[in-house]
Amino acid sequence: QRVLLLVASDVDALCACKILQALFQCDHVQYTLVPVSGWQELETAFLEHKDQFKYFVLINCGANVDLLEILQPEEDTFFFVCDSHRPINVVNVYNDTQIKLLVKQDDDLDVPAYDDIFRDDEDEEEDSENESDGSEPSEKRRRFEEDVIERTMKRRQRREWEARRREILFDYEQYEYHGTSSAMVMFDLAWIMSKDLNDMLWWAIVGLTDQWVQDKITQMKYVTDIGILQRHVSRHNHRNEDEENSLSIDCMRIAFEYDLRLALYQHWSLYESLCNTSYTSASLKLWSVQGQKRLLDFLADMGLPLKQVKQKFNSMDMSLKENLREMIEESANKFGMKDLRVQTFSIHFGFKNKFSASDIVYATASLMENIEKEGPETTNFIKALDSLSRGNLDKLHQGLDLAKKQLRAIQQTVASCICTNLVISQGPFLYCSLMEVRIFDVKLFSKPVSLCLLSKYLLKSFVCSTKNKRCKLLPLIMAAPMDVEQGTVIMVGIPPETESSDKKNFFGRAFEKAADSTSSRTLHNHFDMSIIELKTEDRSKFLDALISLLS
Amino acid sequence: SEAKAGRTDLIFLIRFRHCCLLRNQRCLLAYLYDRLLRIRALRWEYGSVLPNTVQFHMAAEEVEWFNRYKKSLATYMRSVGGEEGLDLTQDLKPPKSLYIEVRCLRDYGEFEIDDGTTVLKKDCDTTPLLKKNSQHFLPRWKCEQLIRQGVLEHVLS
Repeated sequence: QRVLLLVASDVDALCACKILQALFQCDHVQYTLVPVSGWQELETAFLEHKDQFKYFVLINCGANVDLLEILQPEEDTFFFVCDSHRPINVVNVYNDTQIKLLVKQDDDLDVPAYDDIFRDDEDEEEDSENESDGSEPSEKRRRFEEDVIERTMKRRQRREWEARRREILFDYEQYEYHGTSSAMVMFDLAWIMSKDLNDMLWWAIVGLTDQWVQDKITQMKYVTDIGILQRHVSRHNHRNEDEENSLSIDCMRIAFEYDLRLALYQHWSLYESLCNTSYTSASLKLWSVQGQKRLLDFLADMGLPLKQVKQKFNSMDMSLKENLREMIEESANKFGMKDLRVQTFSIHFGFKNKFSASDIVYATASLMENIEKEGPETTNFIKALDSLSRGNLDKLHQGLDLAKKQLRAIQQTVASCICTNLVISQGPFLYCSLMEVRIFDVKLFSKPVSLCLLSKYLLKSFVCSTKNKRCKLLPLIMAAPMDVEQGTVIMVGIPPETESSDKKNFFGRAFEKAADSTSSRTLHNHFDMSIIELKTEDRSKFLDALISLLS
Repeated sequence: SEAKAGRTDLIFLIRFRHCCLLRNQRCLLAYLYDRLLRIRALRWEYGSVLPNTVQFHMAAEEVEWFNRYKKSLATYMRSVGGEEGLDLTQDLKPPKSLYIEVRCLRDYGEFEIDDGTTVLKKDCDTTPLLKKNSQHFLPRWKCEQLIRQGVLEHVLS
């Protein structure tokens, strides 16, 4: 056993893990795979395995903290970190022995210069001046005065340097954001080694789509990365055009599509998909009665009969499905939804199996956060990992069903929150709490990814529903009960929803500071710093501290 | 004794009983022989150390027979295949790959590969901590026994 893989619990990490596993199997590198969902599990896994392993690979975890300080490893252990979290901790960047970062070359890191942050401790000692013996008293006193002046100058310089350093570090670490998807970095690695396969390319696509679905990257970055992947797709999948040399229908093919932005619409009915996708639901304001009427108008505008639209998508009339995308885009433009189509990829294998990248993302994410626990936490991870292989279609279908349930629950929650005005403005941010709400499946939102998804959808819908111009630019903090017996609450902070948002999140640092100042019992367990767990009783003073901090 | 007394009319009864006894003896012998065959198969299935639940059900003579079978198998394996000997209980089906991916089905802890009486001296670095749902990529020979015991599961992707 040479390598220990520590993999975080999100879809991008799973995809990167699959690519890396395939590469390791190709090269016969022995490895052990341990899923980790937070800092505590990471430390436990490290302590358990540190005697047997010298090489650790961390996927989507570990870049944004000082690894050496937290894990205290031996001198000869090596860490390879492939993490899309930014900003990367400066210690990790400038450590050239034990920590190796896997980052794409053109990824903009903006790391402050070495000299601005680190500095060897020179002449700190106040008493290093050696007294030369046998000199005259007056000369000695003059020299002594000069020394004192020199020392105060040095101290002042040092204080200025430290103040500047604090400022630089504060600016650098203030905002959290995400870099290139780890799955894409791994695919790049495979490509450089000339061991890339169509399967790995698909996993890279799913990893990137996960970043887009969870709103972690800007639109521009998404489009750029799609362009990069498109070149690989055409390289691997160009054989279909030639009639003579076309592949068997069972072979896996990836195709570029300018597809609709409706979640899971090919595995659901078009009507359900329109109701449960945040983009359409927010733009049409489907939580209100007029919204429902607008939806019917929208469908009528396209000429789609209601009976057809409510059927399973595969059973819709072929004549309706033929120009569906263009028709919907035209009508959507009339109703104010300009971005209903998005560039993405889809995979084909066999006669029945066609999936779009976002379908897989939703399915895998809901498998991973499945609250119907059948065993330890890792069972869900393993199931989700399995569902990414093409041989495990039953798990994928189970994931799709769970995803449908999850999306419906999210929309219902969003609708009820907006109708009952649960989103209140606290000054510098908006706040919504699911603590007292009577929702059927509030346990679904005790997991971080689902809660983040809910918060983003809620913010989108709120921005569309409110008339207050100032509130449209505020970020949102969402609180949901996590564990009723232990009395903990999970809180998530997301950046404001604007057209050209750069998706930078300052809540990580803000949460830390507020927790310190109120000495609340908090746990910063997740790899995303903007997710925090705290005790229910400490909630109000924590919020007050946040308000005063951010105003 | 009654036959010795010369009562010829009881000969048939005695013969009949004798046949029954012989038949019972044959049945018992068949049963014991079948048990021996199964115990022999256990060596191939479980390796040289039998789990306690199985040993509990074996008589003392059977345990002795098992040990002697083990020794003779080991001697044979040592004599075949050159200097190191050849472990015939490995790779009962032709393997497709040198390394396989396995998943742990239940908590097992660490263990050192102990081949008991076989002569293979591969470098036995310890296998990793086997916790439920951990996945490993290991050489095939390390995993075979555990797969047979049901602790590990071969993952096909």
